[in-house]
Amino acid sequence: MSRELKEAIVALRMDQALTLAKGMLADGTDPLAIIAEGTEAMQEIGRRYAEGQAFVPELIMGGEIMKSLFEEVLPEGGGPGSGDPKGTVVIGTVQGDIHDIGKDIVALMLGVGGYAVHDLGTDVPVDDFVAAVREHDPDIVALSGLLTSAFDAMRSTVEGISAAGLRDEVRIMIGGAAVDENVRAYTGADGWGSDVSHAVELAAAWTDGGA
Amino acid sequence: MHDLAGEKLGDRLIAAWVRGDHLQFADDEARARYQTRAQLIIDTVRLEDTGRIPVVPAATQKFALDYEGVTFREAMTEFDKAFAAYVRQYEDTDFDAWVGPEFIFPAGMFEALAWNRVRLPGVHLPADKSFQFVEAEYMKAGEYDEYLDDPSDWVLRKYLPRLSPKLEPLAQLPPLRNMLVFHQGLPDLVLAAAENPGVVEAMAALKKSGEAVQEWYGYLERIEQELGGRLGIPHLLGAISATPFDIISTYYRGWRGAIVDMYTQPEKMKALMERLLPWQLQYGIDGAKSLGHPIVTVYLYKGADGLMSDGQFEEFYWPTLKRLLLGFIEEGLLVWVFTQGKYDSRLQHFRELPSGTCLIHLESGTDAFRAKETLAGSQCIEGNVSSALLAAASVDEVEAYCRRLVDVCGAGGGFMMDFSAFLDEARRENVKKMIEVAKRYGRRHAS
Repeated sequence: MSRELKEAIVALRMDQALTLAKGMLADGTDPLAIIAEGTEAMQEIGRRYAEGQAFVPELIMGGEIMKSLFEEVLPEGGGPGSGDPKGTVVIGTVQGDIHDIGKDIVALMLGVGGYAVHDLGTDVPVDDFVAAVREHDPDIVALSGLLTSAFDAMRSTVEGISAAGLRDEVRIMIGGAAVDENVRAYTGADGWGSDVSHAVELAAAWTDGGA
Repeated sequence: MHDLAGEKLGDRLIAAWVRGDHLQFADDEARARYQTRAQLIIDTVRLEDTGRIPVVPAATQKFALDYEGVTFREAMTEFDKAFAAYVRQYEDTDFDAWVGPEFIFPAGMFEALAWNRVRLPGVHLPADKSFQFVEAEYMKAGEYDEYLDDPSDWVLRKYLPRLSPKLEPLAQLPPLRNMLVFHQGLPDLVLAAAENPGVVEAMAALKKSGEAVQEWYGYLERIEQELGGRLGIPHLLGAISATPFDIISTYYRGWRGAIVDMYTQPEKMKALMERLLPWQLQYGIDGAKSLGHPIVTVYLYKGADGLMSDGQFEEFYWPTLKRLLLGFIEEGLLVWVFTQGKYDSRLQHFRELPSGTCLIHLESGTDAFRAKETLAGSQCIEGNVSSALLAAASVDEVEAYCRRLVDVCGAGGGFMMDFSAFLDEARRENVKKMIEVAKRYGRRHAS
């Protein structure tokens, strides 16, 4: 099978990737196979990012190509979600903080990494996190925040999940440029990461169960 | 640019700023305190051996407001309360400079226009949270040519209507350039204003917004006089400018849009950066003149490690940033380059600038010790004490880290103690310890 589509996405050539995808569709290729090849390309970009060979623009541009690919190939608005997910993640930027790029990239890379991701958006109240944990029964809750004032909201969110009696059922990670071990301890989270690679590694460590 | 006596603008401003010409001093003691501190800051930026390490604030925000239990919402609406909080904070903490509410804009300025680009405390966010800018696509991918062709028209009829629903009627005006092509331009213009009551309402909204700014400027001036004239603390923040890539990616296209443009229409993006550069330079120079302040501040947003590759930084970010900085330096001005994010791999570029001209702020993500190695003898560095350390660590941990900064970064001068980012959550005892280490331990180690 040709890997041209994967190569075009890894090289971030949007027009070429979409032309190839349209051609594959016209030739009768299963849309899910096209999406799978795109997902492999994103995983390759993610691997390069983790190794320091790719940067945020590659992740974002790759994400933009994938978004267009979904629109082109699955016009009914379908998503990736084939096969059993590695785990379920509820993610959101905590209350009082509206920064979305870091959170979006983590959600994207966890998605292409095989997780079922429920993205609650930004400025998410504690109660919404608690409700989402009840609804989706996730393995992981990922709290994002760029501002230092997000530390308190992260802590309140962890407390809210505890108060609802759900703390033992999830692992909680916090992420953002300003977080570190001190902040993790302050918020009561289980782990922290300052970029997307940390988040993906942490999720893998928590859900692979030694696999 | 030199005046008749051959003196550069910056030299003149430095002398006036160090004297404190813009302040009315309460007494000689305040004047002496002010002048000593201001001179220390200038000398430190110039890499002179000062014998002590200044301690400056990136900016104090919630940290200051907490002194009087003032919320962010109140700080944007009830300036007397915020004024009292700032005065108490700077009375209680012995900084060598102050930076405070310059970015806690008046709520009325935004609210009169229903400004789309912000989320305000007490409206969209809890009252005790800072307002935040919404980064969105206010310029479409296909609008580069239109902007380049007639920037003022694009601002008036596209940009402002997208930023504010109150200014949407401006989109109905004919292009102002029609006035230049044919005498019928005048009737077309005035007719559009008369037939669209929204245009008049838009002007009224601008007036109301401007009145909030008038009041706010009065309050900032009172703080300047109180902290400068009575307490003898210089204001570190003067004129502000920005670099072209940051403006395009933060204010026009959004980060996602800018990234897509880097891959799909790089030449147009570069053409717009070229257009912006001289405006940004002039804005900073004009600001320095009107404030009488010799240090121009440039906040950097999107150039950090990881946000783009080295190749992209060298192609899209650094060339116009370097020319902007050189433009200020040519005028004899100093530049406070406020890096945000991790800058480990970028700092070497600042060695290309004349030495002793920039004060380079480092956030905690940047390795300050490596930065010292990179920039020793070239540029002054400051910052790096992490918000997390100040908010969550013990006094002893803060002391240990700050002593290490003094030992390594303070060696030979060219260093100021400062926190990593605008200060919100922090223990007062930790901040005081940071100051104490700079003033006591730093005194012995600076030279």
